[in-house]
Amino acid sequence: MKVLDIALKDMLRSFRSGFALVMMFVVPLLITGIIYSAFGGLGGDGGFDLPVTRVQVVNLDQPGPQFSFSFGQMLVGFLQDERLAELLQVTEAADEANARAAVDSQDAGVAVIIPPDFTTAALAPEGRASITLYQDPTLTLGPGIVKGIVSQFVDGFAGTRIASGVVADQLGQRGVAIDASLMQEVAMQYGAWAEALGRSRGEGAHPALDIQPPPSKTEPVSQGAGMMGPIMAGMVIFFAFFTGASTAETIIREDEVGTLARLFTTPTPRAVILGGKFAAGFITLIVQVVVLMLASAVIFRIRWGEPLSVALVALGLVVAAVGFGLFIMSFLKSTRQAGPVMGTVLTLSGMVGGLFTTGFQNLPAAYDTINLLTPHGWVLRGWKLVMAGGGVGDVLLPVLVTLGMGIIFFAVGALVFRRRFA
Amino acid sequence: MHKNFGDVYAVQGVNFDVQAGEIFSLLGPNGAGKSTIISMLACLLEPTQGDALVMGHSILRDPMAVKAAIGVIPQDIALYEDLSARENLNFWGKMYGLRGAALRQRVDEVLGVIGLAERQKGRVGKFSGGMKRRLNIGIALLHKPQVIIMDEPTVGIDPQSRRNILDNVKELNQQGMTVLYTTHYMEEAQELSDNIAIMDQGKIIAHGAHDELVKIVGELDRIDLTINAEAGRVLERWQATEGVHQVSAENGQLTLLVDDSNVVLPRLFESASRAGVRITSVEIQEPNLEAVFLHLTGRALRD
Amino acid sequence: MRVIDLALKDLLQIVRDRRSAFFLGVMPILFTFFFGLVFGSSAEGDPRLPVGFVIHDESDALSASSQTLLEASDAIRPVLLEGNDADSAAESVLSKVEGSVRDGDLAGAVIVPVGFGEQALAGEKPRLTVIVDQNTPAGQTASSAVQAAMTRLLGAVETARLSAEAFEAREGFESEAARRAYLDEALALASEAWLQPPLTVAVEQSGAAAEEGEEISPNVYTQSSPGMIVQFVVFGLNASAMVLVLERRSRTLQRLLTTPITRTQVIAGHVLAMFLVVFLQQALLVAFGQLAFGVDYMREPLAILLVMVTLALWVASLGLLIGAMSKSEDQVIMWALMAMFVFSALGGAWFPLDVTGKTFAAIGHLMPTAWAMDGFQNIVLRGLGLSSVLLPAGILLAYAVAFFALAVWRFKFE
Repeated sequence: MKVLDIALKDMLRSFRSGFALVMMFVVPLLITGIIYSAFGGLGGDGGFDLPVTRVQVVNLDQPGPQFSFSFGQMLVGFLQDERLAELLQVTEAADEANARAAVDSQDAGVAVIIPPDFTTAALAPEGRASITLYQDPTLTLGPGIVKGIVSQFVDGFAGTRIASGVVADQLGQRGVAIDASLMQEVAMQYGAWAEALGRSRGEGAHPALDIQPPPSKTEPVSQGAGMMGPIMAGMVIFFAFFTGASTAETIIREDEVGTLARLFTTPTPRAVILGGKFAAGFITLIVQVVVLMLASAVIFRIRWGEPLSVALVALGLVVAAVGFGLFIMSFLKSTRQAGPVMGTVLTLSGMVGGLFTTGFQNLPAAYDTINLLTPHGWVLRGWKLVMAGGGVGDVLLPVLVTLGMGIIFFAVGALVFRRRFA
Repeated sequence: MHKNFGDVYAVQGVNFDVQAGEIFSLLGPNGAGKSTIISMLACLLEPTQGDALVMGHSILRDPMAVKAAIGVIPQDIALYEDLSARENLNFWGKMYGLRGAALRQRVDEVLGVIGLAERQKGRVGKFSGGMKRRLNIGIALLHKPQVIIMDEPTVGIDPQSRRNILDNVKELNQQGMTVLYTTHYMEEAQELSDNIAIMDQGKIIAHGAHDELVKIVGELDRIDLTINAEAGRVLERWQATEGVHQVSAENGQLTLLVDDSNVVLPRLFESASRAGVRITSVEIQEPNLEAVFLHLTGRALRD
Repeated sequence: MRVIDLALKDLLQIVRDRRSAFFLGVMPILFTFFFGLVFGSSAEGDPRLPVGFVIHDESDALSASSQTLLEASDAIRPVLLEGNDADSAAESVLSKVEGSVRDGDLAGAVIVPVGFGEQALAGEKPRLTVIVDQNTPAGQTASSAVQAAMTRLLGAVETARLSAEAFEAREGFESEAARRAYLDEALALASEAWLQPPLTVAVEQSGAAAEEGEEISPNVYTQSSPGMIVQFVVFGLNASAMVLVLERRSRTLQRLLTTPITRTQVIAGHVLAMFLVVFLQQALLVAFGQLAFGVDYMREPLAILLVMVTLALWVASLGLLIGAMSKSEDQVIMWALMAMFVFSALGGAWFPLDVTGKTFAAIGHLMPTAWAMDGFQNIVLRGLGLSSVLLPAGILLAYAVAFFALAVWRFKFE
């Protein structure tokens, strides 16, 4: 079959090209690989492997001789607890200026500044105090962790104050006498309760909250693998569309070199020539997608999901990529144009399709809808559904839409090319 | 056949016959319409009007049969540079319908004919210009076509390679192939062809065997002269000189058609010296196709 | 002089190549815009994470308090969902809510079962259900914010309990109803008090300029702009490296060497051109960032200039290396792309290094791109001055010298 001859010839040329191989296989795996090695420590094996956050703590809290303790000192001790050593590296600073300077010069990520009146304010009925966290604006995770820990500590004392205040209010309103021993007892009882709560939380079980993840149809995946799946899917889709466009670009290139005209002088119908190019794209893409999926499953331990559904979505991708590529190329006259146009169109459609933001949560809902303007968005949706445990029924709509879009693009592209080479 | 591209009339009412087994040349300057005619005969373009029969098949109604019967050698190299010579031949052979053992045998034969058997596994991109040209020709021979169409095959190449190509053409013809050959080099048309059609601006202005054509200019000689001044200094004088039929100036060279060069030449020298101009080189040519062209169009054949 | 002529010739070729214009100018602006848009629009509304809130018993006194406390959180925003009265629908509500969390529409959800308030106030220990996926950053944030808010709620309940006990011990309640009313009042008082707790944690961003009274108001583009500049500047070398390769392949390089020009001058001319291209590209992106995206680069012009110059020098040296080693245009694009990805990702242009693993962050900080990011961020994000960019600039310069030496050594003139 001449269609196969042409397809094989094209594939021979493209698989011999180092550049094509790099763009088809190396780059997508490289990018995912970089992301994987950046976050690969998460979940999987070993749990969190984040760099420790360097904390400088300044305790200005010197409550005076009538107090035998200082809450500020307690907080310092709390932060330096060895159970937090994995997350925090805590140093006591000489004074506030030094602590702030340390953050400014990036020797520390967060400075915890405990004001001088902390203990007195905590105990006095009308006292107010605030612990200041002075943080490096370029850091994200570390300061958040420190804030969580310090807030938890502070809330404990604030709660005691509030409890005392409410009791005093209510009893006072009803004309009940309040004495110091009552207040102390309330404070102690509340403190005991808070401590017990804190302990059970530290042991991992919250006394009043049942925290459960939303059930998915597959086993729960570790954070690492859970995030990598959509990222790799995005890469496969983007580079598949690149391959689709490159395959179509060979039509223009052969036209420039003269071999296309030569093909036309042989007793080979034009439909066969175009069919050959289409077959080349189809087969090349199937190879590319399969290799990338297998490689990523092995290297990054990505679970693509139920095989038949995955394959159906992949089929939709292949058809869409070939069709889209033909469509773009049909409007171009030379390979000089091809470079930037391909770059722009592929990048833009990748953006709109949501391929570059697979790692981000909390994107505006409207964005999800915009994704669906492109075949890219539909393929991504399909694969995400399968990764979350979906089956054939779930992906039927995305697959049909992608196939439809691909066929339409192909038809338009083929029509334009036929007219050009009539 | 007629062919126009919008306002441009590339081919205007061209008629000719090529007999089986002969070498036929289309001779004319660049832009005469030769390539357009080739494209139409190869079924790449459709004539705006008219038809052509190649081996009895119409280019309009039966293009596939035409394509199967002809082998086209384009002016520019059209090869897959990232494949080997053998791979190129294999592929094109398949495009011509050859398969299996027959394909293999034919490829071996062609490699031998074009002298690339030793380098068949080499990447075409690394071949020298001459080797690429040979492969370019070889591809057209795979399916043993009855008609070979060559479009200006010797433009811009060295004399040795040109010699080879001309010899190849003669050999192919001796094997029974009809050759349609376009060129703007008069000597080639003269050396190779049984019949020649001279073209200019889309029309055939003369048609026939070499000797017949030359008779158009009769017994006129051609003299090529260079002078040490502007052509304008002597143009009119020489045009008026007795025995001179035609004077044309192009690129600092003057070309004249005269009755008898040995008689007219002294007159030219005298006329020139009176104008204070020195003649720096003289070349005398017997009547030939360039003279014919000059006579018919008033312009030189060569650019 | 010949060096300048050669550089100008290179520039002319680059400017004429439409492909270059695209990669040099259009793409980075497009990307900055895109990422700013995506993050910006989510920050325009309430930037807090949406957490679903389902109350099965609307008369539950506690539910109002819990809602108030969730509202007061600065990390999450409660989204009131339909509770229900009939029992059979409870499961469907649950699965709908679970679906929303799984799909990412909600960062989490809190479900208050029937009778929660009564049981809590009676001293029993009823439980709330919290649906959250702690395997995602958003889920984690939501989870800890919900836990913090709920802990405050429990504190308020405990407060109410203690207060009622204290009253009971001294006066005693007339009736169960009176007790209930007392508890409700205590709860309300406590919840309100939690809205303005006496002891708080205040967050300040560092930045020397902030102390001088200057306003550093970072927006979403402040994060994405420097990263985009660093990433696309590295890819920009593609254009100049291309010129080198084309010169060698078209044999104009050989021709150049037959003129009275030394090999050093040839290389210097090319480097000059590359430097100018990269520098101008940065200037364009910095200007764009400043004027269109409100990223305040110009608060320390000299510092920014220093970073730009040393970054351009390093990129030029990298471009020279790639151009020296590549045999074809395709190879140039390939190496340039890979360099862009590797240096950008490892340098912290895609995601900040503090959220990555230890090893990755350590390797990343060695990259010249990480230092360039530091330089830019010191100015636009941390509000520091000229002295803060001296070290980054110095390191970039050192890298430039090293790459340059390598390139000259490998430069093929054939």
